[in-house]
Amino acid sequence: MNTNFSCKTCASADQKLETFISNLSVDTSHHRMEGQSVKCGFGLQGICCRLCSNGPCRITPDGPKGVCGATADTIVARNFLRAVSAGSGCYIHIVENTALMLKKTAASKGVLKGKVALAKLAEIFAVDEADEHVRAEKIADMVLADLYKPDYVKMELVEKMAYKPRFDRWKELGILPGGAKSEVFAGVVKTSTNLNSDPVDMYLNCLKLGISTGLYGLTLTNLLNDVMLGEPSIRLAPVGLRVIDTDYINIMITGHQHSIFAYLQDRLIQDDVIEKAKAVGAKGFKLVGCTCVGQDLQLRGEHYQEVFNGHAGNNFTSEAILATGAIDAVLSEFNCTLPGIEPICDELKIKQICLDDVAKKANAEMKPFVFEEKESQSNDIIDSVIEAYQARRGVVALNMDADHGNDDTLTGVSEGSLKSFLGGTWKPLIDLIVKGEIKGIAGVVGCSSLTAGGHDVLTVNLVKELIAKDILVLSAGCSSGGLENVGLMSPSAASQAGSKLRAVCESLGIPPVLNFGPCLAIGRLELVATELAEAIGVDLPQLPLVLSAPQWLEEQALADGAFGLALGLPLHLGLPPFVTGSPVAVQVFTQDMLNLTGGQLIIDDNAQSAAQTLDAIIEKKRKELNI
Amino acid sequence: MKRIIIDREKCDGCLNCNIACISAHEEGSNFYTVNMLSPDAETRNFIKFDAQKGYLPIFCRHCDEPECVLSCMSGALEKDPLTGHVQYDESKCAACYMCVMNCPYGVLKPDKRTRTKVIKCDFCDDKVDGPSCVKACPKKAIEVKEVSL
Ligand code: SF4
Ligand code: SF4
Ligand code: SF4
Ligand code: SF4
Repeated sequence: MNTNFSCKTCASADQKLETFISNLSVDTSHHRMEGQSVKCGFGLQGICCRLCSNGPCRITPDGPKGVCGATADTIVARNFLRAVSAGSGCYIHIVENTALMLKKTAASKGVLKGKVALAKLAEIFAVDEADEHVRAEKIADMVLADLYKPDYVKMELVEKMAYKPRFDRWKELGILPGGAKSEVFAGVVKTSTNLNSDPVDMYLNCLKLGISTGLYGLTLTNLLNDVMLGEPSIRLAPVGLRVIDTDYINIMITGHQHSIFAYLQDRLIQDDVIEKAKAVGAKGFKLVGCTCVGQDLQLRGEHYQEVFNGHAGNNFTSEAILATGAIDAVLSEFNCTLPGIEPICDELKIKQICLDDVAKKANAEMKPFVFEEKESQSNDIIDSVIEAYQARRGVVALNMDADHGNDDTLTGVSEGSLKSFLGGTWKPLIDLIVKGEIKGIAGVVGCSSLTAGGHDVLTVNLVKELIAKDILVLSAGCSSGGLENVGLMSPSAASQAGSKLRAVCESLGIPPVLNFGPCLAIGRLELVATELAEAIGVDLPQLPLVLSAPQWLEEQALADGAFGLALGLPLHLGLPPFVTGSPVAVQVFTQDMLNLTGGQLIIDDNAQSAAQTLDAIIEKKRKELNI
Repeated sequence: MKRIIIDREKCDGCLNCNIACISAHEEGSNFYTVNMLSPDAETRNFIKFDAQKGYLPIFCRHCDEPECVLSCMSGALEKDPLTGHVQYDESKCAACYMCVMNCPYGVLKPDKRTRTKVIKCDFCDDKVDGPSCVKACPKKAIEVKEVSL
């Protein structure tokens, strides 16, 4: 045990994890926070521009404009739109790959596990084909055709997917997106040097990217994955470091593109592969969940009970998971695959394989996934993981924490599984809301970060405050990874809720915080919200529903946030998204947005006061609905 | 007595010390909220760039024999014998700017908006966690050191 590090790591809402990490001898993000604690004020305010060689320009009292004449408002808006474009690009990459995977799976008459999802998509897209493979391929083609349109041609599925009142509002505002990939391109062009300088135009562009990101990158990625991998179904599952079983050859997966693992995860439990594992002294193979792809696997865990051992933790738990010494390989295909895992993998002889070059790690083997070669690729991967297992087990010390996490996290919640749980209709939930047994709903989503008090600190504290006010919390993203590890997604957490919500949860046997899985499932929350609004007959901004990304981390989260604002929902963030140096940005996000879409940004890093603000918004919306 | 000691070689010219100083003098503000565009935003420290020498952090030295105090006729500037800090009392200032002309480091200046007072380092009123600029410097180019007279 290296106590040299113990005083230096940052706080975590997960006490056991904090202790585990503080005792590690390897360097983790939690150790590096201290060395990065002095932050640049210009960066925090978004008023640094380095788009050209006359810069970097920073806004100061003596230099209120950049050399080119750009004001703080222009610089902030350009930086923000660039970030939203990049974030959108990330999600569009995911949905593009997912649609391509569905197309190829369908064309090769592969297994389609999600019949309900297929029927649902066929209905939304108005695809009328008898053969399920032809139907699935057509659906994938329609998604791809939209993604590849130029930015001046509107995407066709937006109207089919969006809630009518929302679609109409977006049309009025002129923010219906063209081809999603081209929109990313347009956002990047617009923000280059001496091009667009109009902050309002750029923020409207952000909303447009929010729509394409949300409907395609989020909502459709889920539904397409459901078709291939099976729909989520509600169950109790173990979470935390305890899920790692040292008797098996363990593969940690990181990323967002679950379908890339579809073939491999079935292959890992076939007899000949298990025999290979046994030949080297292991009982077989297990996948250990980490980051969003782990959450996604957990969500569909019902279909993968044999190969999936459970979700161990979120992005900033990944280094700790590796430091147990019991992981033999990391397979990554997207973020959040921290560069910080590289030296740990080297030191602990953990094999790293990247399946998508967008997430190529410096010291990892690159093995770009090729659908047509998935059989031979999977066999190669299995062989090199076995090799790593043989080289390291027995040599590398184990440092397990069987006490971390819990065995009864409720998982598998989706728009579909929740509705069936309620008896195939939203009426019971609506009745509870109308009666005030559930005061409102908060979608607490997004990432985990090490700021705003420490790892998951604000997320966990805010959720505790919200449930105490009888607000039901739905979570999607790495926020879920943190909330489940501290037990807030276990049925026993009902005791931490306000008396009314507690009674509801206890009678249904559910926790007050429902686990929708990965950040992609923010798209599922949108589906739930839309179906509720439809059932009640109101528009989304009228619902007693708020969003919060208390510990948003990166550009993708900003694109998600733009979606939330386009939907017209109040959105709370713990820390400002690098925009406070611009008076126009502050005005647009906190005030004008209410008139544009009905949305509103709330910035507050204090759990108590943020919960009070969100509670007041919910109360106000209830009053307006006369409930 | 505490002084801010400068290690010129370490300075990267990031101006974080400027922001910290402006924020320290805007009531209730922090790095996210400090208004850099306010007419009252004034920094009490300066970073100059010299093609040969690189960045030159210019901070009040709270001199042993402060020229600003010696040149001040109205008693607005005084050296506190206990803390060693050279303090400015706006209410006594006649705005003659003799101090501005006499500071050998050029660290004093009239305020931008009213030009009726002097902008001077107050050592952040001896805050317990030290001067804001020092805390904000990522390069440790400025540090508080104890010096004896
Ligand atoms: S684009 Fe303008 S503000 Fe940006 S670095 Fe160049 S001159 Fe400065
Ligand atoms: S203002 Fe100038 S002369 Fe006066 S104490 Fe500071 S550095 Fe010395
Ligand atoms: S000590 Fe305080 S007042 Fe003096 S330069 Fe630093 S931040 Fe400004
Ligand atoms: S904060 Fe430090 S490195 Fe940055 S300009 Fe000031 S003295 Fe130099």
